Amino acid sequence: MNNKAAKFCSIYFGIFGAIVLIFGIAGFVVMGAYGTEGVTWGPLEMSGMFLPWRAIILVAAGAMYLSSVGNFGDIRQLAKSLAASIMIWIVAGMWIWAGIAGSIPGGEEGGWFIPPGEELVGLWTAIPPAVFLAAFSLAIIYPIRSRRKAAA
Amino acid sequence: MELTVDERWGLVERISKETVELGAYEPSLKDALADVTVRPATGIPFAIAVVYGFWAFFCEFAGTLFTDGFFVKLFDGHWLPWLQGVFAGTPAWVFNIFVGDPLADNCFEAFGVLTSGIFLAIGVVLPAIVAFYLIFAILEDVGYMPRLAVLVDTLFHKIGLHGFAIVPTILSLGCNVPGVTATRPLETRKQRFLAITLLGVFVPCGAQIGIMEGMVPGLIGWVFLALAIGYFVVGFIINKIVPGESPEILMDVPPYQLPTARNIWRKLWMRTAKFLTVAVPFVLLGCVIVAILYITGAMDAIASGLSPVITGVFGLPQDTAAAMIAGFLRKDLAVGTIGMLAAGGVTITVFQVFTAVVLLSIYFPCLATFALMIKELNWKETLGALAVLMVMVFVYGTILHLIGMTGIGGGTWVPLVE
Repeated sequence: MNNKAAKFCSIYFGIFGAIVLIFGIAGFVVMGAYGTEGVTWGPLEMSGMFLPWRAIILVAAGAMYLSSVGNFGDIRQLAKSLAASIMIWIVAGMWIWAGIAGSIPGGEEGGWFIPPGEELVGLWTAIPPAVFLAAFSLAIIYPIRSRRKAAA
Repeated sequence: MELTVDERWGLVERISKETVELGAYEPSLKDALADVTVRPATGIPFAIAVVYGFWAFFCEFAGTLFTDGFFVKLFDGHWLPWLQGVFAGTPAWVFNIFVGDPLADNCFEAFGVLTSGIFLAIGVVLPAIVAFYLIFAILEDVGYMPRLAVLVDTLFHKIGLHGFAIVPTILSLGCNVPGVTATRPLETRKQRFLAITLLGVFVPCGAQIGIMEGMVPGLIGWVFLALAIGYFVVGFIINKIVPGESPEILMDVPPYQLPTARNIWRKLWMRTAKFLTVAVPFVLLGCVIVAILYITGAMDAIASGLSPVITGVFGLPQDTAAAMIAGFLRKDLAVGTIGMLAAGGVTITVFQVFTAVVLLSIYFPCLATFALMIKELNWKETLGALAVLMVMVFVYGTILHLIGMTGIGGGTWVPLVE
């Protein structure tokens, strides 16, 4: 990876790490104020039994991004950012999986299966921060690819 | 010539210095990621994320999708009415053993072998086991489990084990039977005794976790915390008391790699088949014995005999006695019964439910695990493990009773299932 790309990644993941950290801390604040019932704010929701876990993971991921920004060209720093991204993907992936798992059975009164698309629309109106963050964390692919290109 | 552990490692270092030549080495991204996941500062948060993913997948796959989504409907809406029709003309004792309570409208509360027994084994435990072993196999094949073992190695050394003990411990969260079997690579009898005792006492199986997740979801974290504290404190004490060595282990830590579907499927099938052939017959046997104890009135007699301990020492309501006795045979059934007590009109506090669930978790391994403990350990060691278990039940019961007397968790328990 060249210096320019490393510098860009340092800035990007520095800002992104700070945002992840803020969302993690916000998770704790919401947990303290509203419990697991949480809050919904526009398209963003912070609630559920796993809220404190998600908050811990986001805080840790944010800290890992921030600690990786110095000398981003070093493979160890890149690995730290990749690990933080994987942590966010796990949280986001499990939320998506929960939505899918809850959308397949028909419920107590209905048939065996819910008609396709019926429940998914209602379930995915509000989204936890990790899902938004997961989209931006995909930027980790760029330094990995540019590193591979440089090595080739 | 016998070498101490330190002398052996010293010898290994001398030999490697003389024989291994190190050249310039540029680590790959996989190497660097492997390093990040074993260093405590980054490895522990990563492990928390993995455990979160493990648990979230488990709950949604086993609870939401299969048990609540399909099996409850299948068993309560179709299987139970069909059985009640088929056994309608049979003698009362046959009906009671196989179908259970004639007035029951759900399989869980029927307490028959073909109702509660089959529902628990297939409808609750099987999805939990499949979910658990699926993720476990993926983590093994990706190469994360050996790294988790390295990460927790220092902690496990405090209790006379080494990081590899995390594998049987996590396996036991699915089913204690393969967990106990997985202790075989541990080198000394002391380590195997330690690991098997701790698994048998402090590690709840998938069946129990599945029921806890459905019945007492708000308390499950506290139950796990209480059990984890016991696991390490008791492990530390046993390590000091029991003579024997706790040597190091050399373990292969493979590079991270993509798992293959064929390998995952084979592992999943092998472990699930073991559960179906070894543990399920014991699940059904437990249901038969519980049903017979209820029918003959023996359950009430035993419960009233033990009620001074259950109410006096453990501070639990009299009505929990029968469930606590049934827990010797079917822990999951007993946890479910405790969770349903309030729905049946019994006044029970949140802390009493917590106490009962913790005691049920530790006070006797299931029949299948007990049979395997006798096979894997000798009689003397099995009795030793049972002695640890008995002491722990009284220590935990008394401590929790004392904590409960301070008023913590004193609110009345409100079950999810009314």
